[in-house]
Amino acid sequence: MENIFIGIASSLRGFFSGLGVPDLYNDIIMLVVKLVSILVFILVNALWLVYMERRVCAFMQSRLGPIHVGPKGLLQSFADIGKLLGKEIILPKGIDLVVFLLMPVLIFVPPLLIYAVIPFGKDMVAVDMNIGVFYLLAVASLSTILFWAAGWSSNNKYSLIGGMRSVAQMVSYELPLILALLGVIMLTGTLNINQIVNAQNGIWFILTQPIAFLIYFIAGVAETNRTPFCLVEGESEIIAGPYTEYSGMGFAMFFLAEYANVMIISAMCTVMFLGGWLAPFGLDFIPSWLWFFLKMYVMIFIFMWVRWTYPRIRVDQLMGFGWKVLVPLSLANIFVTGVGMYIYRAIGW
Amino acid sequence: MFGQGLIKGLQITWGRLLDKKHTVKYPYEKIEMFPRFHGRFELDVEKCIACGLCANACPNKVIEMEKEKVDKKQFLTKYVMRIEYCLFCGLCVESCNKDALKFTNVLDMNQYRRSWVRLSLVDRPAPEAAEEAPKEETPAKTVKVEAAAGQAPVKEG
Repeated sequence: MENIFIGIASSLRGFFSGLGVPDLYNDIIMLVVKLVSILVFILVNALWLVYMERRVCAFMQSRLGPIHVGPKGLLQSFADIGKLLGKEIILPKGIDLVVFLLMPVLIFVPPLLIYAVIPFGKDMVAVDMNIGVFYLLAVASLSTILFWAAGWSSNNKYSLIGGMRSVAQMVSYELPLILALLGVIMLTGTLNINQIVNAQNGIWFILTQPIAFLIYFIAGVAETNRTPFCLVEGESEIIAGPYTEYSGMGFAMFFLAEYANVMIISAMCTVMFLGGWLAPFGLDFIPSWLWFFLKMYVMIFIFMWVRWTYPRIRVDQLMGFGWKVLVPLSLANIFVTGVGMYIYRAIGW
Repeated sequence: MFGQGLIKGLQITWGRLLDKKHTVKYPYEKIEMFPRFHGRFELDVEKCIACGLCANACPNKVIEMEKEKVDKKQFLTKYVMRIEYCLFCGLCVESCNKDALKFTNVLDMNQYRRSWVRLSLVDRPAPEAAEEAPKEETPAKTVKVEAAAGQAPVKEG
């Protein structure tokens, strides 16, 4: 069980080299296979998360949620996608056509790029990069510009406001997010995600860096534009923010990308603070990729729980909270971590 | 303590998550209506004496009835309610002397066509001026009292 995916990969590689494919092409084929499987993983999970979100939301509101399509409503998101695929793509007057049509496609690029460096299990990473965290943070902030471009190209005031809010919010919360991760990076002294996971063999970083975890979690909620930081698409104020003018599959792509981003933030939480694919309490009869998956889904559930509990906050509160609370707190966390490390080293621990 | 309210909110939603749900799987399960619920009408043709009080009581002139005289007695041949105009005030039910007209707790009277909404409770020919006792073998019992909502099958939309 442990090596099922690695086994599949190596047997595929063996199959191709048996066919007489040169090593270089073999590497390229394997990379493509990995990336396609990641894409399938993202899409299947996003579809499942749409259903899960609706179910969790309904249960928290004492309702039942989708029950009609398929057993227990499991095929609901397939029905939704089918409906959205069949819809007309409406092009409003005065839009920037190329940008408008390009954005729903490009919105899936940052998540796909990020998943390349996330370790799904022991030795299960598509590209093992020694600056993984840095790469991840750099690529993750790219989606800001896509939301912004989508909002601006729509020729709609609500879209524009939504796009501007998205930039303001994401830039403000990128800072505490990165500063919170800095504590972990100081402890491990590496930017390689695999090594960060291995460093948590004895103790998870959620216990040594609880403040950083909290800051990361809050900033992560803001990064994914979810309640209570859902000002970007605040339905009661600006309809759907940057997605207002999108219809059919364009809207669905944004919708699925949101869940892909939620998965990334949860996966990062898992990797950075919850020990990644390491099994807790020596329960390593459960394969490592399943542990990663379980931890990721616990984080996703907490994201949903938070979403369906709190109301949306105001723009000034959002900015004030980000700059006056989270950034100083994360700086203080870095300072305390540094001092603590110095003291530990001084007493020779 | 700062943040107490946030934790309390999370506690409440967690409790709701595990709680009993207050809705039912509607088309498959239905909640019980109250006994005095103003639902679909039901006419007991046996009891009806075709007096016409209900039609008179109706503020919207919903009830259309036709009757024929058979052996000194009024015989109801047609009783149609134009439900699309009905406001379910219940004056017709109240005015009925013989408790023939009643409310049921059936609430789904929606149809695909507006013309199908019309509720035909009685539609039968008058018996041939029977010799002495029309009571014995009146066709009244077999009249489509229940399933005669217009021409349409009674199915929720």
